This record gives sequence, structure tokens and C-alpha cells, in this order.
Amino acid sequence: MIEVLRAGVCDLVMDRGRPGHAALGVPAGGAADPDALAAANRLVGNPDDAAGLEITLAGPRLRFPAGGVAAITGARFAARFGSGGQVAWNETLLIAPGDTLDVGAAQDGCRCWLAAQGGIAVPAVMGSRSTFLPAGFGGHAGRALKRGDVLALGGERHPVRRLRADPPAIDVASPLRLVAGPQSAWFDDRGLAALFAGSYRVAPTSDRRGVRLNGPAVTHARAELPSQGVLPGAVQVPPDGQPIVLGWDGPVTGGYPVVGAVITADLPRLAQLRPGDALRFSTVDVAVARALATGEWSIEEAV
Amino acid sequence: MQDDLNPLRASAPAQTAPSVAPVPWRWVGERGLRVETGEATLGCYAALAAKRFRELEDVVPADGSILLVLRRGARPSPELLAGLAVTRAAAEPAPATLHEIAVTYGGAAGPDLPALARRAGLDEAAYIRLHADAEYTVAFLGFQPGFPYLRGLPERLHAPRRSSPRAAVAAGSVAVGGAYAGIYPAAGPGGWHVIGRAAVSLFDPGREPPALMRAGDRVRFVPA
Repeated sequence: MIEVLRAGVCDLVMDRGRPGHAALGVPAGGAADPDALAAANRLVGNPDDAAGLEITLAGPRLRFPAGGVAAITGARFAARFGSGGQVAWNETLLIAPGDTLDVGAAQDGCRCWLAAQGGIAVPAVMGSRSTFLPAGFGGHAGRALKRGDVLALGGERHPVRRLRADPPAIDVASPLRLVAGPQSAWFDDRGLAALFAGSYRVAPTSDRRGVRLNGPAVTHARAELPSQGVLPGAVQVPPDGQPIVLGWDGPVTGGYPVVGAVITADLPRLAQLRPGDALRFSTVDVAVARALATGEWSIEEAV
Repeated sequence: MQDDLNPLRASAPAQTAPSVAPVPWRWVGERGLRVETGEATLGCYAALAAKRFRELEDVVPADGSILLVLRRGARPSPELLAGLAVTRAAAEPAPATLHEIAVTYGGAAGPDLPALARRAGLDEAAYIRLHADAEYTVAFLGFQPGFPYLRGLPERLHAPRRSSPRAAVAAGSVAVGGAYAGIYPAAGPGGWHVIGRAAVSLFDPGREPPALMRAGDRVRFVPA
């Protein structure tokens, strides 16, 4: 069991999401970096698809009345145990009964993922325990955690192996890579030059539905098109030319031209952008994007 | 370096499988294939969804196109690419359900009705008659879970979306956006013109199926 002594900015119960329902208007959702959540799960002996917490910008203070086994992956936060110890990232953490974990504020990046042995036991909705905030279902009562919430943990306790995970290297300074299309031909030379030569800043209104960018206007000839299917990473350009990178809880269809889509391998970097961060774009072809799409974390016994 | 400024011009042509009738499709990232299906969208969707291609994670019908979502790291199989051409040629839509939706038109339930009626050169009663006499088809669901984009709005009633969206539209609001009619499943912001309200649960994630309507279903509005 986990008690929420203080909620963070937006703590959401997440698993790998609920793909397969886009025809009903429901996006796949799930952890913004599913590999990072899966790694946290492995560190505590859970299956990859167990539910954990996705923690954004500033985290909660949690109490483990019966103790437990936890792990945190993703962006570094200023986390501390109530008992005084610092909290290691990418490692199996043994938590004593009654101890508290204050996740604190993000030191760099935007999101981290916390897994606890047994997984967070909320009911699956449409095949997933992930919170879908825009429609208020899934996760813990369809919402972000609040002070006073109590999260049950599932499964049986099992012996703990202390493990350490080695995240894939991320070059935060390199451009986000796009596969061009489907409407890239609608954009004029000036618009494309702006997109690929310019630097964009993440707007404060960004969230899991979309990362809104401010920067040189990406101009194009036609403002609207018949609604088409879209997916996380698609870069929509409304008439004002300010791109929106669709996020994990974004709409399944959209009526703005899509100049390209961020490749799967770079979505974990999208997950770590915070308001005010600068970014650039480049292109890559489909074969390269596909070869990069299954980045692996390596996990080994801690020494 | 000049080329780098314009890297999209030469890439992403419509791609086709070699030995079959060409079907235009384009990449959306390395996991999405946007297939032009035009008038055959509903039939193609039914056929592709029924075939359960192993490399596909999802099939998303939209307005004249379908998005096929590949599983991470998967490539489209030759069978899938061949299947696109066959289904486009021979697609039959799945059997449709007719939904009769009771609507309270105008007043507080439909604040945009007076302006839309004026725009169409009709009085409110004539506008309502025209809206309720039409039979609609669910083209696709999008925007919100369970939100039906309804084709079949009489041309006289077409109206561009509001220039600024309303901050709050009530659940069940019956609305007009461009050439489409729609019904908001849940309360929230919305840019369509609201002409009435229906007491209908369009989406409930705990229900099976969660969405009341599916692409291809027919809808009639009945003035309450």
C-alpha cells in the first residue's frame, strides 16, 4: 500500500496503454516513455506491463506503511527518503515499513516513472490501468493523485533481487528526428526552411495531449484538410504556423496538415521537454527510424 | 546545406506495393500508413479491421482516409499492401445500426440555433425540420472518445466552425461544424455551433462496447 501524503503537479497511474481503440476516439495513451516504466517494473520484479506512477515536474510525498520495493527511472528528481537517505535512480530500492519517499522537483527533464513491487492495483479500463485525463477514466479514479489517496499494490511479495538498469544514451542537444509527411508537400520552401533551420521553444500550455511550440512560423498553402488519423509525435501545423507535436493523450484524428512525425526512438526525449526548453528538428528516413525504434535498456544484478 | 533546408521535397512520394493496383499511401512517422480510401473508407475500414493483420496495432478510419498503425518496429507485410488494393476494390461496409436520438432544439440547450437559422435564411422551425429530416451516417469517431462525425448535413445548413471555441459545451450537445453534424459525448471546450441537446450516453468506458456508435452507423434526430 502507498499513501499519498502530498501530491505532485501531476502524478498519474500509467502502464503501457490501451492501443486498439482509436476507432472509438480513444488514443493508446500509457507511459510517455514505456521503456523507462518497463525498466522500473523489471527492477522490482514486476512484469513490464504492471502499472506504476508517471511523475511530472514536481513529485509527490509517499508513505509505505508496510515498506516495499520500488524503483525510479527517467528524469532525475531531488528525491529523498524520510529516513534521510538519498534515492538512487535506475536501481532496486528497499523501503522500510513506515518510511516516506519525497520525490521532490525535477532536476533536469520533465518526467520520471516509479514502479512498486506488485504494481499499482487499480481496475483495468478498456484493457489498461493507464489514466486518460482528457476523458477522466482509467488509473486512479480517472484523475491525477491527490493528498490522502491510498494506492493498493497487487500481487504477492516475492524475494528481491537488487538490480541496476542502464538507460540507453540520450543526446539531449541533438535535433528531434522526423519522418516526413503525409502533408509535407503542402509546405512552402520558407515554411520548411523555418522548421528545419529554426529553434523552437516549448510553450507552457503543453501537456500529454500535445507539446506546443513557439518559434519561426512554418508556413503552408492550405489551412485545413479533411480529418485524418494521427498518432503521438505527429507535428500538426495550424494556420498560425506554430507547430504542435501531438502527445500520448492527443486526439486520434486531426484536421491540420502534418509536416512529419517524431520517430518512436525520439518520443522519450519529447517526454522530457519542459516549458521553455529549446529544440530543433531534422529528418530521417523510415528504415532508419524503424531500426532505432526498439531501444533496449540493459538490466543487471547490482554489485 | 541548401538541400538540408528543404529535406522533404524529394522524399515521401505516394508509395505502392509492386505487383498490385496502386493505392496511394504515405508515412505518418515510421509506424503510421495513411491510406487514401475516399468514398470507400467505411468498407475498407471494415475489411482491414476484420483481417487482423499481425503487424497492425490499430486501424483508424477518418474522413476519406484510414490510418494503419504498425506495432513498434514492425514493417508492413506484402500481404497488407496487397490487401489495401483488394479491399479498396471490393469493400462492403459492415452492417449498420440506426440510432434515433431525441433532441431538445434551441433555447438554453441550443444557444447557436438562432444565428445558424439566420445564416441559412430559415426560421428556427424550418431549420429544425431540415436538420431532423436528414439521415446521417457516422463517418468516424474522433476529437473526444465516442464523438461521432456525422455526414449527411443538408448543404444549406453547412456553417464554418465558430471563430473562437466555447470554453464549455454541455455533454449531449448536438452541434454543427463545417459539413458535419456531431454530438458531444462529454462536457468540455468546443468549436462547433450548438443547436440542441440530447440525453444520450455516447461513451462509457465501463460499457461493452464503450462507444454507442461506430463508423458506418446511421443516425436520425427526433425533435423532443
